Amino acid sequence: MTLRLGRQAFRDDATLMMAIVNRTPDSFYDKGATWVEDKAFDRVAEVVDQGAEIVDIGGIKAAPGAEIDVEEEIRRVASFVGRVRSAHPGLVISVDTWRAEVARAVCREGADVLNDAWGGADPALVDVAAEHGAAVICTHTGGVQVRTRPHRIEYDDVVAAAIADTVAYAERAMAAGVPRESLVIDPAHDFGKNTFHSLEVTRRLGEMVATGWPVLVSLSNKDFVGESLDLPVGERLVGTLAATAVCALAGARIYRVHEVVETRQVVDMVATIAGTRPPARAIRGLA
Amino acid sequence: MTRVVVVPGVLALLPEYAALVDPVADLRAACLAAVARLGADVTVLGDAQGERVAAYLLEATDRSGSAPSFLVVGNGSARRSEKAPGHLDERAHAFDADLRAWLLGDGPLPDAGLGRDLLAAMTGFELMAERVPPGGPVGVDFDDDPFGVQYWVMRWPA
Repeated sequence: MTLRLGRQAFRDDATLMMAIVNRTPDSFYDKGATWVEDKAFDRVAEVVDQGAEIVDIGGIKAAPGAEIDVEEEIRRVASFVGRVRSAHPGLVISVDTWRAEVARAVCREGADVLNDAWGGADPALVDVAAEHGAAVICTHTGGVQVRTRPHRIEYDDVVAAAIADTVAYAERAMAAGVPRESLVIDPAHDFGKNTFHSLEVTRRLGEMVATGWPVLVSLSNKDFVGESLDLPVGERLVGTLAATAVCALAGARIYRVHEVVETRQVVDMVATIAGTRPPARAIRGLA
Repeated sequence: MTRVVVVPGVLALLPEYAALVDPVADLRAACLAAVARLGADVTVLGDAQGERVAAYLLEATDRSGSAPSFLVVGNGSARRSEKAPGHLDERAHAFDADLRAWLLGDGPLPDAGLGRDLLAAMTGFELMAERVPPGGPVGVDFDDDPFGVQYWVMRWPA
């Protein structure tokens, strides 16, 4: 099925890089490197040059921290979305927010995708998406509160829970008027999940793909990689790419990443091994 | 009037080996243009791999007319450089020069045994010598060794 992300449509075998662009002073990986707006703007240009099809702009870090109200979140992201839209008319712009009011503000500025990393915490968000023709990323958080870490959460079957919740969310969005082709599901590694849960959804990602909904994975430098390899933030790229390869082989479509070039190479290599993408150029033994 | 085309048996021409970027785009264009000048019914002269290349080129072209037509699949040495598939053999260039001269109607077909030692695809040329030996005005559309393998695309009449 064609995937429609706002202004852009993609073939059903296309894999897409969603580059993370933080408008925060305190996100875990870049620690505020793009808090200054011009730095964030430069970061967008950089990831576009690197081949990212999507940027995911976020105004609030996922982890607990200082309270950021609606007005401040809008101040951080809305006008920035407009600036990126003007400079990159063909770029798919996603905004990482759970709030319908923020969603409305960024859609007016040209956002294409609402990445609801907190799994439908604000039920009105899907109405905004429908009203503005935006796509929605439907994530699984296991019912945890926004901006909380998991604490002693357990599941009978974490993959079954992720499928049930994300598909239910997608169907709710459809009922609100978001087209099926503009809905994506995301198991949301580390959100409402300990490391064992995140490893299991990675290992069994094919079950999510088998639902027929396009699957996004957000693996980049996360704690499940760090705990698996006992490595701090900043030393998790290789582990991230290994998890990326597993998800790519299972059929994930969108990769939310810090490192665009490396992830694109891994995803393309896996697709080439899987036979869904030809080699770039092949003459060895064929001349 | 009998029409004859020579193309190399390059497996990279085959759809099953297609890549995102065509490494033999110029050669492919020359082959398709030459083969398109053959008549509707074409006799293929080549070895088994050559027949596959011929089948692709014939399938990919629209041809008409009843002129007797032959598609010869053969190429020179694959040992023309250190990066060539068969590494460098010092005899390769002289052999290919003799083979080119034969194709241009200016000398005998060089020794096929030596040609095989040099990883040339000789079967098509041997069959050509028996059925439709080179002669008369010839059009040379490709004469190069981009991967250390000597390729020709030639056609008769010119």
